[in-house]
Amino acid sequence: MFAALAVLASVDLSLWKAVPGLPECMTRLGLAALLSAFGLLVAAGLAILFKRIIRSFIDYFSARQRLQRRLWFIQAKQDRLKQLFYFKTIQVRYFNELKRKRLLSADNRRHLQSLSKVLTKDLLSIKQQLPKTTYLQLQQEHVRCRQLQDIEGLLKLQQKIATLV
Amino acid sequence: MTTLKSWVFTLVNLFHSVKGENLHWKTTNQDQQLKLKHARVLAEKALEAELKKKSVRLAHEITLLQTKNDAELSMFKTKCKQDIKDYKQYLASLDQLKRSIQASYTHLPGAVAFTIHHHAKHLLNLMWEAEDFEQKMHYEMQLINFMTTVHEDARLHLEGATVEKLPEKTMRLIQPR
Repeated sequence: MFAALAVLASVDLSLWKAVPGLPECMTRLGLAALLSAFGLLVAAGLAILFKRIIRSFIDYFSARQRLQRRLWFIQAKQDRLKQLFYFKTIQVRYFNELKRKRLLSADNRRHLQSLSKVLTKDLLSIKQQLPKTTYLQLQQEHVRCRQLQDIEGLLKLQQKIATLV
Repeated sequence: MTTLKSWVFTLVNLFHSVKGENLHWKTTNQDQQLKLKHARVLAEKALEAELKKKSVRLAHEITLLQTKNDAELSMFKTKCKQDIKDYKQYLASLDQLKRSIQASYTHLPGAVAFTIHHHAKHLLNLMWEAEDFEQKMHYEMQLINFMTTVHEDARLHLEGATVEKLPEKTMRLIQPR
């Protein structure tokens, strides 16, 4: 490239000296040199790039890199196993708790029904002794507690009935 | 023109001298370079061997971990099943408790029997849901104490050792609630 620039500078010099025929020839020579210099530069760049790509490929598939990747894979598998165990434990605990809650609610329902039966019987037995409004109020409360499955409310109601008698 | 020629010569000389220097440096350091290359290859091999060993060790650890996890999980499932069975038994024994108190105190108001049963169930749930072991033990002791008192009251009433119309000791245990 420097040679091409030198040739082009000499064209200027020959023009200044007014040498006939020489500037034209020198210009062609300078341009050819410049073009080939650029070509060479591009070719060298491409060669370096290609070389680097090949080297990266070789490095990627080298034994060290393959082993390193395998090691990372095994480590990830180990972590995955640990996490899986943790989540499986949570899942088992969750389903166990769900089963227990179902048992409890079934038991609660059974007792609620039997308590409600006792309450209905008690209310009917004291119906004549109570003013109508009080009786209706107690019955409404009874229905409300039964619908809400509120055992404590029903117990309180029964205690209230017991104090009224 | 002569100046240009001398410049070109100087440049060529410089190029040759650089090449000469480079060659000289390469000759003097050839042994060291070879050693370095050799050491690099050895280090690479050592690293590969180390990685291979680590992989094998980790793979073995994974097998062990998997076995351990399977065993622990299976044990945990068995424990959970047993817990559910225990809970069912507790609920059944609380039913039995209620029946026993109703059978002993024939004139016991329904509310009292239900309150006793409800309190026992409340204690059972507190015990079951307690996170802390000490707290769990505390509630368990409370529940056992409560059930023992109920049975004791029922037994004494059946045997005629007491004239009380209500299971007073049990009621006293419920009162602080």
